[in-house]
Amino acid sequence: MSAFDANTWIGRWPFAFLTEHSPRTLMAHLRERGIDRAVVSPLDAVFAPEPGAANRALLRSTRLFPELVPVPVINPVLANWRDELEVCTRDQRVRLVRVLPSYHGISLGSRPMAELVLELRQRGVRLAIQVRLIDERHEHHALRIKPVSMRDLSRLLAAHPEGPLLVSGLLRSEVITLAPQHAHLLADLSFAEWHDTVQHLLAKVRLEQLVFASHTPFLVTAAANAKIVSSGLKGSRLASLSHRNLERFLQP
Amino acid sequence: MSILDVHTHPLFRDDGRGREGVKSFLASARSQGIDHLVALGDVLAYGRSPNAAQIRKINDDTVWLVKTYPEMVTGFCYLNPTLGERAVWREVERCVELGLRGLKLEIANNARDACMRPVMASAERHDLVVLQHAWSMTKIRQRRYHTDPEDAVLLARRFPNVRVIMAHLTGCGVRGVLAARSCDNLWVDTSGAAPEARLVEYAVEQLGAGRVLYGSDAPIRDFAVAIARITDSGLDAATQRRILRDNACELLRRP
Repeated sequence: MSAFDANTWIGRWPFAFLTEHSPRTLMAHLRERGIDRAVVSPLDAVFAPEPGAANRALLRSTRLFPELVPVPVINPVLANWRDELEVCTRDQRVRLVRVLPSYHGISLGSRPMAELVLELRQRGVRLAIQVRLIDERHEHHALRIKPVSMRDLSRLLAAHPEGPLLVSGLLRSEVITLAPQHAHLLADLSFAEWHDTVQHLLAKVRLEQLVFASHTPFLVTAAANAKIVSSGLKGSRLASLSHRNLERFLQP
Repeated sequence: MSILDVHTHPLFRDDGRGREGVKSFLASARSQGIDHLVALGDVLAYGRSPNAAQIRKINDDTVWLVKTYPEMVTGFCYLNPTLGERAVWREVERCVELGLRGLKLEIANNARDACMRPVMASAERHDLVVLQHAWSMTKIRQRRYHTDPEDAVLLARRFPNVRVIMAHLTGCGVRGVLAARSCDNLWVDTSGAAPEARLVEYAVEQLGAGRVLYGSDAPIRDFAVAIARITDSGLDAATQRRILRDNACELLRRP
């Protein structure tokens, strides 16, 4: 199975004993588990005052790894976001940017968010929204971080039906609620789970709206493969889920 | 490798499968190498504090599972300790007679509450394993009736002759593992939430390979995902085998 991972991270996460991956160690880790390509974002951008330095390091450090598609983090609340987007998208590999609403104080219904969506559309760059990085029940006791509100996400999707949008970190119930309402929503499978995850989702959601994602290093990487392998999907349907849906999403 | 899953709910009203769906649920387990599992009942079917009739109905379903699939299923008796000593004893006696082999506690009360005394006394009398739901209450803030890892440890310490499983390693986290360290009659199952990385390794490092048990929490969780928490852990094959099967066999006194 050729697998293209829609959600991986490099760098350090301070609140758990996770592996601190560089592009080299991440790619080796993924390859050992049968994943040959991945989009990757920088964890250092999550708590930094602004994501520029982390994005620059991401773009620099992934240059020798064509299997990794760098996905910078953009924070539209900050005054410099257009400059940051401009700098990042000069790199031809950047086909997608990620926003972290819960960690960066971004309201999905805000003007900056609407402007970012418009700007990305004009540039032909895709958007990924990270609903949660970890289970909100397990956040550090000193932090109060809630996942993105499903109502706000649904409104954003309804307001911008013109192009596909990747949403990472949705739970099973959230995928089932949102995907049938918004045909342009692409849901990553990292947090979605049921005893027969893929078949359960496919009873309610179109295959074209689901993408393989491990959320490495937060979650056990092989668990993501196991979901797909145990699904019983074969041939072109398996290929759609494991890599083609994400490839199509990233095409200009 | 054959696997024993200590934490499942084969009947789960929320998903609308009913008894007819059990066959496919068990087939799904078998396809992942699980040849035996512990059925804990549909514990939230009637809310967090079911009455005696509702408890009986849930346990009757578990008895049906055990009788229908005796090679595949060990059943635990679900209890609501707040119903009082007489109700607890009556239900335990009934369920032991019908072949159930352990007790399951959910979120009717906190494990440190006095109403747990008859539960633990009945477990000791019948040599039953107690599986106590637990989750870190740091964020959830329901400790009045919802058991924190430290509460599960306190329960096990108060009743050193009873074997206790603290459910949900991922929900209990590093703090839960550390609390469990010096409590020899307490085991931890690997279920709970999404498969957060490095926790199984940490639990083995702190508790030793003998006190960690594979559990899935299916159907809420995916068997294949739950197994990958162990098989992608970097632990050696012998340790994985202990977690996936041998520890549970010893605990449940299965050959």
